[in-house]
Amino acid sequence: MEARIRARVNLALTFFALLFFVAGSSPPRQFVISNAERRIDLSSHIINVHLTLKVENAGTRSASEVVLALTPTEVDHLAMVDASAIKGKRKKTTSVRLEVKPTELPDAPPIDTKYFTIYLANPLNSGESTTLEVLYVFTHFLEPFPAEIAQSESQLVFYHDTALILSPYHIKQQTTFIKTPSTKVESFIRMEPTNRVGTEIKYGPYEDRPPYSISPIHVHFENNSPFAVVEELVQEIEISHWGNIQVTEHYKLIHAGARHKGVFSRVDYQSRQSSNGASSFRYLLARLPPRVHSVYYRDEIGNISSSHLRTDSLKSELQIEPRYPLFGGWKATFVIGYGLPLQDFLFESSDDKRYLNFTFGCPLIGMVVDKLTIKVVLPEGSTDPSPVVPFPVEHHLEAKYSSLDVVGRTVVVLEKKNFVPMHNSHFQVYYSFKPIFMLAEPLMLASAFFMLFVACVAYIHIDLSIRK
Amino acid sequence: MVCSWGGYTFIINLIPMHVLLCIVTGRFSSRLYIAYAPLVVLGTLLAALVPVVGFNAVMTSEHFASFLVFIIIHVVAFVYYIKGILSPKMFKVAVTLVVSVGLAVCCAVIAVLIALVASSPTKGWSGRSLSLLDPTYASKYIPIIASVSEHQPPTWPSYFMDINVLAFLVPAGIIACFLPLSDASSFVVLYIATSVYFSGVMVRLMLVLAPAACITSGIALSQAFDVFTGSIKFQLTGASSNTEVDAAETSSSTAESQTDAVKTEKPEETAKNRPSRKSKKKEREHGEKPSTEAKAEKKRLLALPLESSVISLLLLVLLGAFYVVHCVWAAAEAYSAPSIVLTSRSHDGLHVFDDFREAYAWLRHNTDVDDKVASWWDYGYQTTAMANRTVIVDNNTWNNTHIATVGTAMSSPERAAWEIFHSLDVKYVLVVFGGLVGYPSDDINKFLWMVRIGGGVFPHIKEPDYLRDGQYRIDSQATPTMLNCLMYKLSYYRFVETDGKGFDRVRQTEIGKKYFKLTHFEEAFTTHHWMVRIYKLKPPKNRIRGKTKKSKSKTSSTTSSPKRSGTKKKNPWQ
Repeated sequence: MEARIRARVNLALTFFALLFFVAGSSPPRQFVISNAERRIDLSSHIINVHLTLKVENAGTRSASEVVLALTPTEVDHLAMVDASAIKGKRKKTTSVRLEVKPTELPDAPPIDTKYFTIYLANPLNSGESTTLEVLYVFTHFLEPFPAEIAQSESQLVFYHDTALILSPYHIKQQTTFIKTPSTKVESFIRMEPTNRVGTEIKYGPYEDRPPYSISPIHVHFENNSPFAVVEELVQEIEISHWGNIQVTEHYKLIHAGARHKGVFSRVDYQSRQSSNGASSFRYLLARLPPRVHSVYYRDEIGNISSSHLRTDSLKSELQIEPRYPLFGGWKATFVIGYGLPLQDFLFESSDDKRYLNFTFGCPLIGMVVDKLTIKVVLPEGSTDPSPVVPFPVEHHLEAKYSSLDVVGRTVVVLEKKNFVPMHNSHFQVYYSFKPIFMLAEPLMLASAFFMLFVACVAYIHIDLSIRK
Repeated sequence: MVCSWGGYTFIINLIPMHVLLCIVTGRFSSRLYIAYAPLVVLGTLLAALVPVVGFNAVMTSEHFASFLVFIIIHVVAFVYYIKGILSPKMFKVAVTLVVSVGLAVCCAVIAVLIALVASSPTKGWSGRSLSLLDPTYASKYIPIIASVSEHQPPTWPSYFMDINVLAFLVPAGIIACFLPLSDASSFVVLYIATSVYFSGVMVRLMLVLAPAACITSGIALSQAFDVFTGSIKFQLTGASSNTEVDAAETSSSTAESQTDAVKTEKPEETAKNRPSRKSKKKEREHGEKPSTEAKAEKKRLLALPLESSVISLLLLVLLGAFYVVHCVWAAAEAYSAPSIVLTSRSHDGLHVFDDFREAYAWLRHNTDVDDKVASWWDYGYQTTAMANRTVIVDNNTWNNTHIATVGTAMSSPERAAWEIFHSLDVKYVLVVFGGLVGYPSDDINKFLWMVRIGGGVFPHIKEPDYLRDGQYRIDSQATPTMLNCLMYKLSYYRFVETDGKGFDRVRQTEIGKKYFKLTHFEEAFTTHHWMVRIYKLKPPKNRIRGKTKKSKSKTSSTTSSPKRSGTKKKNPWQ
């Protein structure tokens, strides 16, 4: 803790020291943020930071690149960053998504600061201003303190941030709102004017802060929301052109909150549920596509009997219960599998290719997935696959052999780290496939049997005896 | 055979017995020799390849019978060979010579063998086999064998449950085997006789009885069908031929009987396909007349009356059908229920008790990979396979001492038990407790066996200490030794808080000691229905010099020091 604060102070000092060298010389410095409002939502273990910036071009030239700055710890835990421009006034607002890319600023003063550049749709002329909305999502950012709790204790966590927004621009006015899940806040660092009402802590407004000014704060508060993290999720989507898509999902689940310490008493857990194991969780909800069939839920040692499936025409909900309630640090692994009708997800594109349109994501609600691997197993004989995913992922090809495969099935493997529910979106895998390959396996079987019978017939009719 | 089960000793003793029987009854033939001699040689060699058996295939008495018969069959074969070469006179001389010399040699060899066998502690027989020969042996000397419910003698209902109608068909089958006694049928008789005996000793040997019972009752059924169909055939053809012979006597009767024959044939065909009531009635009506006509011939050929044979045929088919229904039911209800997932039907549907797998999954995911788990040996294989953790004892009950150590720990007071477990490097102790939901085969009910097995090796554990007036009880009348032993404490720890009284639904009583604390163990996990409880051994406390000396030397130095030395003596692993 202390070391970190000291590091931050040092960092701040270097910021200020280096500031003099570069002030006025770098090109992004032409913007001024006239008003910044930050809303930090700490109600679950996925932290959403909504940043509303009113950017004004104070320079002489028109510019289209706005730079955001983040500390290295923030970047390590950053799951996604999303920016959009707000157009219109008051009620008639429309937002346009903008492109955000991580960039390196070679002449930027603080070496450790990481930058993201927002590319505006229209360049901002000198003197004009625009409103930008930025969403940061952080995971694994709340630090449980104490790090180990007993069954009857509730979970307290630290949130570290700075009261002033880190930015390469001059900020004329800024306010930060921090929303905690409950009114139980152990402590927080004040920086006047600071105001706490109910579940909200308000920092600011602060006037006229120079670039790279920070002021470390922390909030120590109660957060009993389930810190459910899927350490690894491998989702295998197997396409069969005979009319079925089989999805198999392998989960490695962990409770990433404060570690459970000492005794687990069932009698306390069952009789005093409100005060016991407040941060533990028992049920998980998976939202599956509609018209799902043959759903199973099992682990290495067989079927897990505690699950319920509710289906209607729009969605299917699978409520599952791991074999035991998960306390801090406890793990569980399980497999969910289901079949889907092919016509809902496979389409033909205009250029005579086929494509699979599927949700990129984890069906379990409110989960952070540390490593998500999606394997799309294309039918045997399909060629030149190409995935289209709305955000950057790693991908490579594999081959898989299932029964009666000769050349192996092409598998498109997509890997994404630090996945949050906000990422949920559709992705496509394009490939070309000749329908004649569908008949390959039946024909192979038929010909094998035919050969067998022919051989039998031949054997019966051939006389191999030496003597007549 | 050897690979799969230790019960192979049954077969390798049964076959020599049959061979010996054949030799004694003068049924020796070269076919028998060719069948038996290679079996012994090859079979022994192959059995010795199985790691568990190894040299036991030639070392233990269970295998001696086959070797003995192997020698005998060679002698007999040699005698027959000599007999073929020499003239009868010379043969007699040779026999007297050989017998006198051979007897002397045999006596010497047998004496050596007996001495060898007698020198081994169990007389060369393993405990399991001895308990087969003497059903009371195990309960007297080897509690670990007697403790297994599979090793108990079966009750009559279990016979009817398992083999059902076969129980009645088997005697008939044995009789059928004797009708023409051949080499093969004598084997069947021997097989059924021995397997009935063995199944009477142990429930699990019902497995051996089942195929034998199937074979003999199959023989019985086939014989019965043979007789019935034969007599029907005879009745039909016999009736028509009779009428032809007697045609000259009375033309009127021939007409009647011919029509009868025609009529009876028709319903007979339909009866074979589907036994309807109408056809039965018709048969009864028409069957009477021809039966009276051909009485003389029937008696000669031991044929049955037509109607009774048809009816009994139908009854037999019906019996078979019911048997199939019973088998399907038994397979579904009794044999297919996994003992690891329990279900109970209540008014609001099926309730599943999946506590065992809950506990095993918890162990698998939330303990260190090299943690050791101690439990009663029944759960050893399950823990190894499902929880993927090392266990101290498992269902391979070869190491009796080890099981006795765990039994001793379970029946010792907490401190002594902790020392035993700690010396075994155990991290977690698992007990099965059915008192909350009424699951009867839990560790408290098995506990007396732990005491017996533990006491068999470590004599300071005495069974009477756990019994009040010869009765095993856990209520307020229980002995203090019982109420302070580890098993009681681990099972009932904080149990009273569930209902306020601590009512055990298996034993149907309130428990004796309700409020107590654990000092050397802590509850690590308890499943949803409390069926499996896992405790963690607390780490040994640090010695704080000043404090412990002051407090302990004053209060409990006199009491604790003899205790400690006592526990050290008790603990065999230190």
